[in-house]
Amino acid sequence: MTSPSTATNPPLVCWSCHERTFGTHFCSSCGKLLQLPQALDYFALFEMPRKLCIEMSELEQKFLQLSWKLHPDNFVNATEQERELSLKHSSELNDAYRALRDPVGRVEYLLGIEGARKEGEHKQQAPPELLEEVFELNESLDELREAKASGGDLAVLKTRLESAEKNFQDKLGQVDAQLRVTAREWDATLQGDPATRKKIMAQLNELLNRRSYIRNLVTNVQKELL
Amino acid sequence: MGRIVGIDLGTTNSLVAYTDAETGQPKCVPGPYGDTLCPSVVSLDPDGSIIVGEPARRRLLTQPERTIYSVKRLMGRGPADVQSELKLFPFRIDSASKNVIRVLLGNRVFTPPEISAFILRELKNWAEALFGETVDRAVITVPAYFNDAQRLATKDAGKIAGLEVLRLVNEPTAAALAYGLHEKQRGRVAVYDLGGGTFDISVLKLISTTAGDIFQVLSTNGDTHLGGDDIDNLVQSHIQQDIMDCYGVDITQRPELVQELRKALIAVKHRLSENEEAILRFPLPNGAVYGTGFTRAAFEEWIRPVVERTMGPVKQALADAHLKPADLDEVVLVGGTTRTPLIRRTVQEFFDRKPHIELNPDEVVALGAAVQANILDHGVENMLLLDVTPLSLGIETYGGAVAKIIPRNSTIPASAQELYTTGVDNQTGIDIHVLQGERELAKDCRSLARFTLRVPPAPAGLPRIEVKFLIDANGILQVGAKDLRTGEQHSIEVQPSYGINESEIERMLEESIEYAEQDFAERQVIEARTESESILTATAKALTNPQAAGLSAEERAKIDASVARLQESVAGRDYKLIRKRIDDLNHATEHLAELLMNSAVSTALEGRRLAEV
Repeated sequence: MTSPSTATNPPLVCWSCHERTFGTHFCSSCGKLLQLPQALDYFALFEMPRKLCIEMSELEQKFLQLSWKLHPDNFVNATEQERELSLKHSSELNDAYRALRDPVGRVEYLLGIEGARKEGEHKQQAPPELLEEVFELNESLDELREAKASGGDLAVLKTRLESAEKNFQDKLGQVDAQLRVTAREWDATLQGDPATRKKIMAQLNELLNRRSYIRNLVTNVQKELL
Repeated sequence: MGRIVGIDLGTTNSLVAYTDAETGQPKCVPGPYGDTLCPSVVSLDPDGSIIVGEPARRRLLTQPERTIYSVKRLMGRGPADVQSELKLFPFRIDSASKNVIRVLLGNRVFTPPEISAFILRELKNWAEALFGETVDRAVITVPAYFNDAQRLATKDAGKIAGLEVLRLVNEPTAAALAYGLHEKQRGRVAVYDLGGGTFDISVLKLISTTAGDIFQVLSTNGDTHLGGDDIDNLVQSHIQQDIMDCYGVDITQRPELVQELRKALIAVKHRLSENEEAILRFPLPNGAVYGTGFTRAAFEEWIRPVVERTMGPVKQALADAHLKPADLDEVVLVGGTTRTPLIRRTVQEFFDRKPHIELNPDEVVALGAAVQANILDHGVENMLLLDVTPLSLGIETYGGAVAKIIPRNSTIPASAQELYTTGVDNQTGIDIHVLQGERELAKDCRSLARFTLRVPPAPAGLPRIEVKFLIDANGILQVGAKDLRTGEQHSIEVQPSYGINESEIERMLEESIEYAEQDFAERQVIEARTESESILTATAKALTNPQAAGLSAEERAKIDASVARLQESVAGRDYKLIRKRIDDLNHATEHLAELLMNSAVSTALEGRRLAEV
């Protein structure tokens, strides 16, 4: 049970010239846009391995190069079928770039295609070691809402919440640092054994859930402080 | 195939431009009066023909109930959306309007896309007259912050006008294209575009690659109901109140006076862009003349709230692009309203750099549209435009919340897939509600479309339907569905919440051709008649003014004779004769025009025509 570690596109038959073709976007034989194979993931689309540490300038270069070729502006006078294909290719390209250029979105996407992304019941649940702080935070938030409603003194509560927000922002920074470390571990085991890889994915998944939980907290606090 | 043009379909003025084959530079097409600006005003003549542009603008004063301006504000909107506009604009909405607004001109009913189509057809005529060839394809610009329904309505207008709309391009992006070609600018550029009715801010990255230049939009924001119109409304309500307080005259009950005051105040606004002071003198129906002086400083205090409303979107666009004001290399000002000194200062202070104003702010968007039209006509050779969707696309989920599936500022085309299944056994339909906007609840977002996915009867949870939402390069939504169990593709007929359907568009296209079937001479006759009508009205009115007593008997006789001769010529179809008689009357009334002016301002107005006073 190994998952593919590098992009490999199965050969397919071109819709236009009916030759077997080996291109990613264009037919290797006649140069027409190809039907997108169902199996083409975002990493494969950029002809990149499924690594989490990506050189951003390289990704951008590839994005711009592919945009030149795939954008619908190139196909205004082409056949209806080619126009459709260009729309499909270029929207996929843009979707892929949007997902991969964001470090967190990239992890999320990778776990998704590896079948390892599980939000489920963890989403609304506070990580155990944060329970106490979250409890305090929610209490302060309630007090602030009450004080707002009754016209009470807000200054002290606001200061308390601001320092809580900073505290959680710091924690967010820690999660992001951990994510970076674990991402490097993942890249190092690209050819490694499935069990290790599975373990790393579980860690990444856990970090993502933790991250989205803390982010929600921060957003809620910011909304009240506005 | 005919020629291709770029069109700026503006709130106040519209323009058409093309790329000159010899120089490779974009150029605006002049109209019959030599001006490249076509006022976005449409009037229905009592004889049933449609009048567009400058002659229609004059009719705002004489036939306000048959004439409409700023129709762009109504594009893609429902009757419930425009209640606040109706307080400020003299739109006469047909009370039978349901999803689509229908406007009354005289006793006939038109949708906003039909009215916009009259403007597009006029511009098409201008270009065809210049080329001596047909024009059948166009790139039309829209405010970057236009939503799906507003874009669809614009595309429909193009179809009704007999144009294949190859692309809708965002106005600030078009301006950046024109500037990019002109100045060879590189780096990060902010485009601040304040027009007659809409505001956009776009942040772009201009990248030189070996293949050519890429204009990548990083973020965009704006307000589709904020512009010079709002400045005019603000100033007008102040003055109307002042007239009420000083003279007890409520001019809001007189549509033609409201239009006349509006015209006078716009002239004051324009003068204040050049001068520190301006004077308004406005004759009232009771014979009194309302007069007031404006200083630029006081005027700026009035309009400051409008200018400040633009800064929220500016800050948001920068935040979305992860940039600070100092990170930008260039700032470009677009739109006639950016001639206002306060706006120039505000933008300059915020970005701490002098904004670019080299290209005519009225023309730059049309020029950019012509650049894009040329790219589409000849294929991407050395310029590529990557634009974004201004608003997040979402679908309604349980409890009226919205799940965002394509975030705002995503490069377009962009898509998202959602998987659907059934909740109960043998359920045959799944309702899907697509929305656009940034708010968390469906009721606060813009409804784009509702549709029902048809599902073959099966136990609950077994059907698996993948729905693909795709925003195309025009920023318009397409929806497709696929049954994952059978691999079968469903096409989904999405009836937009505020759109008109295909068969209606067909009918409107046929009707608009009928309107268009007037030859050049006939249009000239109509235009000449319109002009004579406004000068005859102005003359008759001026003669009732007490100041007219200052005319000598000889002068008075000359005016009466000129009026009679003009009236006589209007009955015929010789437009050249009508034009000559208009000139004669203008000449005969020069002294009368001067008499109507206060002596303090009369020197500044020497040589003015009566209709302009």
